[in-house]
Amino acid sequence: MLLQLKNIFKWVNSGGQRIFLLKDINLEVQEGEFISVMGPSGSGKSTLLNVIGMLDTFDEGEYDFLHESVHTLKEKHRANLYKEYIGFVFQSYHLLDELTVQENLEMPLLYKKFKGPERKAMVADMLDRFNIVGKKDLFPAQLSGGQQQLVGVARALIANPKLILADEPTGNLNSQQSEEIMHLFKKLNEEDGVTIIQVTHSEKNAAYGSRIINLLDGRKV
Amino acid sequence: MLKNYIKIAWRNILKHKSMFAINIAGLAIGIASCLLMLLFVVDELSYDTFNEKADDIVRVVFKAQINGEKIKEAVVMAPVAQTLKNDFPEVVDATRIYNLGTPKIAYGTTAFRNGKAAYVDPNFFNVFTLAIIDGDTQSPLEEPNTVVLTESEANKYFGNSNPIGKNILIEGNSQPFRVTAIIENVPQNSHFHFDLFASMQGFDPAKSTSWVNSNYFTYLVLENGKAYKNLEKKLPQVLQKYMGPQMQDNLGVSYTDFMKDNQLGLFLQPLTDIHLNHDFVSASQELEQGGDIKYVYIFSAIALFMLLIACINFMNLSTASASKRSKEVGIRKVLGSQRKQLWQQFLSEAFIATVLALFVALGLLVVLIPKFNELSGKALQLSSFINASSIGLLIALTFFISLLAGAYPSLFLSSFKPISALKSKFSNSGHNKGVRSGLVVFQFAISTGLILATLIVRQQMEYIQQKDVGYDKEQLLVLREAHLLGNDLNAFKQELLKNPKVGSVTQSAFVPAGPTDINMSTIYKDGVFSRRMAVYNIDGHYLPTMGMELVSGRNFSKAFGADSTKVIINETASRLLGLENDALGKTITDAGKTATIIGVVKDFHFKSLHTPIEPLLLFYNPYGGLILKAQTADMAALIADTQNLWKNFGSGEPFDYELLDQSYQKTYLVERKMGTILNIFAILTVFVACLGLFGLITFTAEQRFKEIGIRKVLGSTVPQIVGMLSKDFLKLVVISFFIAFPIGFYTMGKWLEGFAYRIQLDFWAFLITAIIILLIAFATVGYKSFSAATMNPVKALKDE
Repeated sequence: MLLQLKNIFKWVNSGGQRIFLLKDINLEVQEGEFISVMGPSGSGKSTLLNVIGMLDTFDEGEYDFLHESVHTLKEKHRANLYKEYIGFVFQSYHLLDELTVQENLEMPLLYKKFKGPERKAMVADMLDRFNIVGKKDLFPAQLSGGQQQLVGVARALIANPKLILADEPTGNLNSQQSEEIMHLFKKLNEEDGVTIIQVTHSEKNAAYGSRIINLLDGRKV
Repeated sequence: MLKNYIKIAWRNILKHKSMFAINIAGLAIGIASCLLMLLFVVDELSYDTFNEKADDIVRVVFKAQINGEKIKEAVVMAPVAQTLKNDFPEVVDATRIYNLGTPKIAYGTTAFRNGKAAYVDPNFFNVFTLAIIDGDTQSPLEEPNTVVLTESEANKYFGNSNPIGKNILIEGNSQPFRVTAIIENVPQNSHFHFDLFASMQGFDPAKSTSWVNSNYFTYLVLENGKAYKNLEKKLPQVLQKYMGPQMQDNLGVSYTDFMKDNQLGLFLQPLTDIHLNHDFVSASQELEQGGDIKYVYIFSAIALFMLLIACINFMNLSTASASKRSKEVGIRKVLGSQRKQLWQQFLSEAFIATVLALFVALGLLVVLIPKFNELSGKALQLSSFINASSIGLLIALTFFISLLAGAYPSLFLSSFKPISALKSKFSNSGHNKGVRSGLVVFQFAISTGLILATLIVRQQMEYIQQKDVGYDKEQLLVLREAHLLGNDLNAFKQELLKNPKVGSVTQSAFVPAGPTDINMSTIYKDGVFSRRMAVYNIDGHYLPTMGMELVSGRNFSKAFGADSTKVIINETASRLLGLENDALGKTITDAGKTATIIGVVKDFHFKSLHTPIEPLLLFYNPYGGLILKAQTADMAALIADTQNLWKNFGSGEPFDYELLDQSYQKTYLVERKMGTILNIFAILTVFVACLGLFGLITFTAEQRFKEIGIRKVLGSTVPQIVGMLSKDFLKLVVISFFIAFPIGFYTMGKWLEGFAYRIQLDFWAFLITAIIILLIAFATVGYKSFSAATMNPVKALKDE
């Protein structure tokens, strides 16, 4: 089992009232799963993803990731944990505009303290695998949205994470680009055994996954 | 990793070229100004420290208040040096200087009149560290009629030939002087710069035992220079012992009686204080015009302020660009960066910027130092930075500035939460806003203070320029050296008068501005010692030529016979003598010579406006150079005519002249220079502060991008939005006035106290300062507010 959420609550206080963002979420994720999280705007999809990704905290409940109790960890350990095992893909790609494709891919490796030659090899491998060798010296602004997201996915994958969290990865893409990215996810999941949790609005994209979780007002339905 | 930081930093720089240029420009100006001021201050503080015994050398000075006259003199009586050395074991050595001015010095046919000469005691070079590079290195001045020259002075007369043993003539001495040694030129940071040191041994007046006449700059080497106060306490007894009997003989009063109403005494002034501290000696009494500790303080403060302002700017501009960098912070955090690493990244960016700014600053200094030297009369050099300790200091300064400027922004930027940073929704907490507001207030308080100071200095200078000084200083040509014509002087004068460009000519060595003779006499009225008064020796043409007015009585005139026993006094003298309304016909006695008062001249300023007008006596005793009143506006033509005439007389002396109004202006050269420097730095600080303000308004406009959009959709007009954005900043500027004005009022009031004749600090200077600063601030803020207010609101709102 990769991770397990038990009775997770998250709320904000507003005007003396407690507004729940997540309400009693229980979730088990096995390695190799491909989960799609669906639900209307404001249902808590992104919040759930951020909690899983440890970018956001929760107020109540227990969270075990690879048999570590995330809720008892200090922030620094928590950060180390997600850096080690989780890759993120964003709706608006979030590439660094000042860096080339190659340099963007290299960045997570820098923070994980890989040596120079090793980094080069890993970046080259990734460029090769995603068929973007020819674009390695271009800046994000010189790429199409689909190509940028391709780099985004490559960057998320480069340090071999166990889990990819994708928050509406195709939200800014046209249908053809969307399809390409979803195919890629499917392939990664099936051939490389990467666990994927994606948030999506689209039934079609959700169908690529092996399991769908529906949220409404912070509750699993 | 560092490579990555630098890469990102560099690409950011390229992307935001103009913002970065603003940032570097501000920082570079700040650093350059700071370094320049530092050079100035270090140079000012280094005066006389090249002497190995600098810390143990003190100068004996004389201070007194006699019948209301304050006397502060750097010279003391001839026997003081030897007496103190004999009487006190803690005085290791004592040496004297007698200033000779610039006499004509000749070697064969080579003659100049531009070398500064002095008689000094034989032990002079044991006291002062002036390296002897040729000749007798042990005791070059032991024998009478020996002389030591500086390298450049020797070069003037002897060129490449060996000067040692050669004889030169010094004006006023029939015996030639033998050159016994050559010394290096006196260092620039010395309080004297003689070119020629003649032995005091053959100078008989130096052997005088008079305790009444002061003519000798006297320096003591103490066993322990720090304890000079102990010796100073014993000096009153010395005066009583030696001066007392002579006073009885000269003034007819016992020392004890005299001291009941008057004060006088010898004091000790540390050598290293001479250049900057004028509590001891009036500036005019010094061997050379010194500096002023006030300006050292002011410049140190400016150096610090410029640096602070520049750093604050950098901080403000860096945090201002935070919204642009927040996405990067978010991504980096998600990709695994620790806060520490981000902190390091932003700090290294600050470091890179500082290093760049430092190089720009050094480049600026190359251009600025000569200009500054021109302005300040200094000889500062950038090369004085090229030594281990200075380079160390520069490196330390670089680290210090990067920390000062980079610490806050890097902490601020690295503190963003990843999720909110990615959404550019970082919180602009009240705390940060408070810090930034405080910084803006601080910057503007300094700018305001400097602008105010500049205005007040300018007002005072204008006042000095326009003040009725009691004579007409325009169109007066002073030929100080005309007396060198000797017997031809009168013929020369007659020829001059034939020139229609010349109105009148007078002969006198006494000029109310610029270098002049000034004698002091001891005046008795009705047999009772009154006080010392200044004396002018003039002829009958002096008063009309100078445009001075008689209040009552008459001018010297041949029509009344010999006027040598007559005297004209000024209003102050008449008041001090108690002769306010009926001075005419009364008599006074000066050194046993009785004179009848024939006229009272309206008070005119014969000293600088720093001091009140003192009593003055004008006697008929024409000598010295000539002063011409022109009857033409074309002074250049008159000067050319005069010069031709001078050549025709063939005296072989160089033609030299001065325009009196220029001499007058030179009297306030120090203030004028400081005023200009202050002016420049005021402009620079305002400029740099505005850069900071510009950065902040940019930041605010970005932050309130959406708010502005909503307001516009709801019908707000452009002026309303400009007003809304500008209001907060202008409020800060106004707050800075409340800090700057009281401090400025106090400080500039103090500065003005240095002038006996000065402007009143009025409301206008403050109002004008406020208007200038507000206008500049509004222009800065308004431009950005306007562009924010005129953008398309849809752009702001579709950003979701």
